[in-house]
Amino acid sequence: MPGSKTIALVVMSLACSLPASTTQAEAGPAQQLSALAPANLAKPRPAPPFNLTGMWLHDNSTGPNSWRFVPPTFKLTPDAQEHYDASQRAAKEGKVYRDDIGQCWPAGMPLIMTRVWPIAMVQLPTVIYMTSAFMNSMRIIYLDGRPHSDPDIVVRSFNGESIGRWEGNTLVVDTQYFVNDHHWMDQGGSSIPASDQLHIIERIRMVNNGTVLEIEYTMTDPKSWEGEWKMTKRWNRVDDTDITEVECLPDLNDHIRSTSSSSQIR
Amino acid sequence: MKKKTRLLFLCVASLLLGGSALAHHSPAIFDRTKEVKLVGVVKEFKWGNPHSWIELDVRSDAGNVEGWSIEMNPPTYLVKAGWKSTTIKAGESVTVMINPLRTSEKSGKFVSITLPDGKVLKDTGSTP
Repeated sequence: MPGSKTIALVVMSLACSLPASTTQAEAGPAQQLSALAPANLAKPRPAPPFNLTGMWLHDNSTGPNSWRFVPPTFKLTPDAQEHYDASQRAAKEGKVYRDDIGQCWPAGMPLIMTRVWPIAMVQLPTVIYMTSAFMNSMRIIYLDGRPHSDPDIVVRSFNGESIGRWEGNTLVVDTQYFVNDHHWMDQGGSSIPASDQLHIIERIRMVNNGTVLEIEYTMTDPKSWEGEWKMTKRWNRVDDTDITEVECLPDLNDHIRSTSSSSQIR
Repeated sequence: MKKKTRLLFLCVASLLLGGSALAHHSPAIFDRTKEVKLVGVVKEFKWGNPHSWIELDVRSDAGNVEGWSIEMNPPTYLVKAGWKSTTIKAGESVTVMINPLRTSEKSGKFVSITLPDGKVLKDTGSTP
């Protein structure tokens, strides 16, 4: 027969175990494994149709403006039209309107993809890491089946939160949760703001025997334009270069005086 | 043109409209239809990302020293044009061609340099 002390210990043990059980129940579904957790990486998945690991540089062979995403052929909202018109007026006067990138704000999506700097891409079964040589700006595309984050928890960013899934020979990437200021779809005479409602779908294909990356963009942002903004861009594999550390440091613009020129309209 | 600063404005045929996205800022503020010749003494040469730069002291005919800020591409591109971090040093006399700002401010985008030994270097990444 157990003594009273033993019974008390059992009861106390049960009582102590309750909070832990309750916490697990409140936590809901199992916690998302890190994209780099061995258990996540080892999960059985179909082989991806391509691996874009490598160095890529936007194809600028079609002209000096090939990196741009505009001019738009659709209707802008009144607010976006105001910015666009102001940037057009500035350009006619040889000035630049709201060049936030020059003030060290991140370029953000989609412009970060077409800066004339190489992008290092590393693909794993669960995730793709993209690091642009331009300010080492980083994109993360999760491939492990996770959903987008809770909008009340997510930290909005310039490159957004990207979730990818394979669809035949195409990688479809859904990106949302962008910041609401200092983020532009283009610059230099065609300034259109990107808002917190920007939503980008990328359809990524590998062509020309893996030497060219093609991305078809479909972008919506009801705060800035009506309907879908579509554009297709290409990148060439560059095997003779690496990215380096690039920082927009406080003293940069002390020496690059054009960024504080009277031709800059803030 | 402005003799005081020994500037020589040259109209060039190339119309490089729009510019590249290589710079960390919009290049539209530079007048890429003009080239300005600066003869001066290197005050500082920065070898770095996202820009290299030259601070150049240019003496005017009146004897005043005017500081010019010259923006360059990052080393990745300059190396391909023959540059090293030791190519120029403070105190050396050089001649630099730039695309000037559209304003009268003393700043511009690097085009080429004539070194003390007469060698000319350019900037390969300027028109990707």
